Amino acid sequence: MATLVQPRPDEPVQRPNIASAGNRLPAVRDYEQVDRDIIRTLQPTLGWFAALGIAILCLLIGITAWMYQIHEGLGAAGYHPPVMWGVYIVTFVFWVGIGHAGTLISAILYLFRAGFRTTIYRCAEAMTVFAVMTAGLFPILHLGRPWKFFWLIPYPNWRLIWPNPKSPLVWDVFAILTYLTVSATFFYVGLIPDIAVLRDQETNPIRKRIFASLSLGWRNSDKEWRHFTRAYLFLAAFATPLVLSVHSVVSFDFAMALTPGWHATVFPPYFVAGAIFSGIGMVFTIIIPLRKYFKLQHFVTINDLDAAAKLCLFTSMVVGLAYLTEFQVAWMSGNRVEQEYFWNRVFGQWAWAAWIMLICNCVLPLSLFSQKLRRNTSWLFILSLFINLGMWFERFVIVVPSLSHEFEPWQWGSYAPTFVDYSILLGSFGWFFMWFLLFMKQMPIMALAEIKEIIPPKMRQPHDPAERVHDLDSLTLDPINTAGDD
Amino acid sequence: MQGVIGAFAELDSAVHAIEDLRKQNFSDITVYTPTPRHELEEAMQPPKSPVRRFTLIGGLLGVTFGYWIPIWISDYWALVVGGKPVASWVPYTIIGFELMVLIGSLATVFGMFAVSRIPRLTTTVGYDGRFSHGDYGIWVPVGPDRMSAAAELLRKHGAVEVRNER
Repeated sequence: MATLVQPRPDEPVQRPNIASAGNRLPAVRDYEQVDRDIIRTLQPTLGWFAALGIAILCLLIGITAWMYQIHEGLGAAGYHPPVMWGVYIVTFVFWVGIGHAGTLISAILYLFRAGFRTTIYRCAEAMTVFAVMTAGLFPILHLGRPWKFFWLIPYPNWRLIWPNPKSPLVWDVFAILTYLTVSATFFYVGLIPDIAVLRDQETNPIRKRIFASLSLGWRNSDKEWRHFTRAYLFLAAFATPLVLSVHSVVSFDFAMALTPGWHATVFPPYFVAGAIFSGIGMVFTIIIPLRKYFKLQHFVTINDLDAAAKLCLFTSMVVGLAYLTEFQVAWMSGNRVEQEYFWNRVFGQWAWAAWIMLICNCVLPLSLFSQKLRRNTSWLFILSLFINLGMWFERFVIVVPSLSHEFEPWQWGSYAPTFVDYSILLGSFGWFFMWFLLFMKQMPIMALAEIKEIIPPKMRQPHDPAERVHDLDSLTLDPINTAGDD
Repeated sequence: MQGVIGAFAELDSAVHAIEDLRKQNFSDITVYTPTPRHELEEAMQPPKSPVRRFTLIGGLLGVTFGYWIPIWISDYWALVVGGKPVASWVPYTIIGFELMVLIGSLATVFGMFAVSRIPRLTTTVGYDGRFSHGDYGIWVPVGPDRMSAAAELLRKHGAVEVRNER
């Protein structure tokens, strides 16, 4: 939103509407530059074709492995009693978690007026939609008869028996479908004014017609903007509790069971914090190479990354606290099975996975207390890869050790993923990045209209620079200081 | 529909032109702007957007449906467990909440489309592609008798281009 400033005492009373926005992106001079610099990223390049080729190759490997699994049965995926949830459910929760940062950045940070979201939220929203699309594949991949996937939808069978609405799996269907629909709607609504920009600048008649259809005849009129900004605000207000609810519901899939390690009331906030943490990690993984490759450092400034890194550090510490709380609850519960399970998790059979999780999610992010490292994009990118790894292992540590170490020793077992699991995991990354790469060549990867809001508009009568003192936003950030940027 | 369209490169010029047009009793003005600006909104003094009503009605319908469907399912094929209630509102709150968000959000978008009159097949008279790029546009619907007065006023405030359109 444009920044409102207090009028100066000597300012003429009859002209209260003169803009004096703070200058958050000093290297961006005008609206035309915003369009020019961001729309040029739509031109396909050799690097883009190479990346798309790799993504499609990974996807094909995953599809081949899935075909093999359908032919051979679920046993090909390494499932055997007692561990009947493995890489697929781990990866499902991982991708749902990745999908959370997009709506967090676009909705929650919008409501809080966090300025650093403006240049990164479009990528984060696209990431959300494609991550949830990826997550939605895994319950189907996990089925022995995937062609019966529609049985997941709550509708009655031929004897008119409905699914039990007290089951967490039914809640999951409602939560995930709502999240996918609302996220996709939020994403598309935000895109409409930007598609109108593409429509107005496109010279190819076919593409122009496609953009005209997708922009729904948007004209940038004051009436449209007035309704748009209201609707966007309400969508953000709906999406905010939705973000918190969806991963809470996913956590109920575990917490409602009596299995050791799962039956804990800390699970909903623990899952939500973990989801946001992993999502921010993936935002760094995507946005840092993008800003370097397309030379967009003057849009995604080092200050924006610094602010996002602080959020990453905070959520890492919340996740760390949740890990400690789990151990404390097990210790104080007096429940021998629970205590045995947690001991086994950290010092026993699954210690290797648990320590990867702890180091990646709790130890390495502590480096972000250093401002120098927060502003070092190379370190942020490397750290984001560790966070992605650590958060995948977090879900592995939640799912597999509990199932392999339940109440009775005769139930205890082990689990080792096969090449089918690994191939499908690789294929999910191929599927996700294929959609993202296709998106970034068709639509602007940054929100043109919202970035224009934070650029000082052209004025006939330039204002006294001293007036910026009234703008608190410009005092909180130092846009000139880009030390540590690449 | 006929009128005058003025294109402005600077925001303050456009704001002053709107204020002057309103003083001269030119009504039903439309402003085109590449991005929403509070300055333009203050100059236009528009009524509150009715989108909020669609949000409220959609949300209420959603939460009602979200509670009704699991309660109906539970009563339709009752699973009686140890004297516990057949329909339990606590777990059904999850479904109620999710459907409130789903239907409330879709109603909001539907409301925005309805009151903004989109989708539309064509951009209307007076619209120019530059208004999504960097310039501001002011469309004044007037009859032939006041057309020159409106055009003169727009030029006076620094319009880079003024056109009569019909």
